Amino acid sequence: MTRDRSFGQELSPRQLIEIDACTQCGECLKHCPVQTVTGNPAISPPEKIRLFREFLRTTDGIKARLGGAAAVDPRLLEDFTKAVYECTTCGACGQNCPVGIFTQRLWPAMRKELVKRGLGPLGPQPNLPGAIERTGNPYDKPAAERYAPWFPQQVQVAERAEIAYYAGCTGAYEAQPMVRGDVLVLHAAGVPFTMLPAEEEVCCGFPLFITGQHDRLADLTKRLVDGYAARGVKTLVCSCPCCVNIMSRDWPALYGAALPFKIRHITQFVADAFRQGKLRLPRELRESVIYHDPCYLSRGVGVIEEPREVLRSIPGLTVLEFEQHGLNSRCCGSGGAARKVFHDNAIAMGRLTIDEAVAKQADRLILSCPACYAKVNEAMQGYEKQIRITDIMELLASVLAEEPG
Amino acid sequence: MGWLIVAATYAVIAAFYVRLGLHALSWWEAVRRSPPSAPRGIGASARAFVGAAVDVVFLRRLLMVNPALWVGEWVFHAALFVIILRHLRYFMNPIPAWVVWAQTPGWIAGFLLPGALLYLLAIRLLTGQEKFSSTANLLMLLDVLAIAVTGLLMSTRYRADLAAVKLFMLGIVTFAPAPPPLSALFLGHLGLVLVLLLYLPSHVFTAPLAMMAARSRELELRRVLHDA
Repeated sequence: MTRDRSFGQELSPRQLIEIDACTQCGECLKHCPVQTVTGNPAISPPEKIRLFREFLRTTDGIKARLGGAAAVDPRLLEDFTKAVYECTTCGACGQNCPVGIFTQRLWPAMRKELVKRGLGPLGPQPNLPGAIERTGNPYDKPAAERYAPWFPQQVQVAERAEIAYYAGCTGAYEAQPMVRGDVLVLHAAGVPFTMLPAEEEVCCGFPLFITGQHDRLADLTKRLVDGYAARGVKTLVCSCPCCVNIMSRDWPALYGAALPFKIRHITQFVADAFRQGKLRLPRELRESVIYHDPCYLSRGVGVIEEPREVLRSIPGLTVLEFEQHGLNSRCCGSGGAARKVFHDNAIAMGRLTIDEAVAKQADRLILSCPACYAKVNEAMQGYEKQIRITDIMELLASVLAEEPG
Repeated sequence: MGWLIVAATYAVIAAFYVRLGLHALSWWEAVRRSPPSAPRGIGASARAFVGAAVDVVFLRRLLMVNPALWVGEWVFHAALFVIILRHLRYFMNPIPAWVVWAQTPGWIAGFLLPGALLYLLAIRLLTGQEKFSSTANLLMLLDVLAIAVTGLLMSTRYRADLAAVKLFMLGIVTFAPAPPPLSALFLGHLGLVLVLLLYLPSHVFTAPLAMMAARSRELELRRVLHDA
């Protein structure tokens, strides 16, 4: 007998075990940034898991196996879809889960199933595959504008090199001071690096992955990996935590083999450059800054110490910490592709970050993620509290410049 | 009446195994449809296994996020474990030495269990924890509390006919059923246990596996972007 499609179709065996393993204790709610700003338990992690179990029962339970899948209330499915997409996928729930559920990958897997059922994605998210198909980036902007507006003229890019730099779409189109800073710092380190031409540096796939639209992921991955491999790349450096996350965690599976190069976040590369004496700072900076850990960099791939090492390398700089930092950092609101669908939530979360940075009397809020950079800047528009927002490489590049920037 | 209870007991046990089987079947289907490059199961290096064992035995992750809840949960789980060991005497003949050894600790644990459960209820209902608690969990907690209290009453004041209890339990597990003693307290205790078995959350079995996966992932995290 042919069975109806299982609700667990897009979940890995490990994720099905995790769905079962949730004890519904509710500890995660205390750490969920969406809960903090909405206070709505209906969109909480345990409620999503409880509902998903109900859905699984309708397709995989004994009644379904004997007599076919039971109908699910369409309104319930609609509410569930909204709850799953309202999440910023920051992973704070999983970090504080007493059984250790890896929610930073569980929610995207649920989204994938919802997409297959025609329930997701939401808002402008369905436009992403088309935009990436047309222009190579989710912002639907011309490839010709990918590097031109911000790329420093004095920097030379090698045709072939062991080091490659991937700017990423959000950095290139929405956080240009950040990617400009990246390139200036790489240049200052004196290490030859290569880049793909603007029309070949396509999206890493993260926006599609996170919204559950996986159809083109393998193709994008193959184009990028083969492009870098053809240039003799041994280390691919990137500053976007979302790109770094999918590259290191998911690209090998999407590519179908181990990658022919290492992935490094730019702060790792720069921290190494300082250790090796390749970077020297000509002046000090007497300021106190507060560093925000991006969720996909800290909880996602464990890069926590290196950004602090880079900041501590700047003479005169005092580095402050948020109450929630490192593995427990608080989401800025831009994650999970929710920022353009659930705009108010994202702004409210961004303002929590601004509030604390201002309360701690930091001179600058230091970020190291283009999505955080774009969203927190947006959250500050029209807000009574103001702080100077600077990307970590933007800051370093300004100190590297002889004149204060 | 006695045979009805025997039938109900077998029905609940059968339902329990069917439920477990369905979960296992779903998991096996997921293993079969997952691509070869996807993570298939629980990666378990020796280090992850030892770490996960520590996590399971000491509920380490809960300790990290909520020490107040951890105290109650750990005493509850430890007491329940020792009490289950003590109860094995009803299912085994002859009784092994380690089960004999567990009798006194099990008797003491019988007093700790309701205390731990009341503490957990107090934490959840009186300390603002309530909004984070699911109704199903609270009902389960009340059921276990009722099991603990009826058990404690039988081991201290209103003793059941232990020989008849053993005949009944041994009969169930050896498929040579005998009617249970018609003691209201024992039947209440048994009924509550059967309700627990019917609604036993599957996390009892899968949470340790998830903890093992989490340990593996934590160990991997240091290698994802680092050469360590």
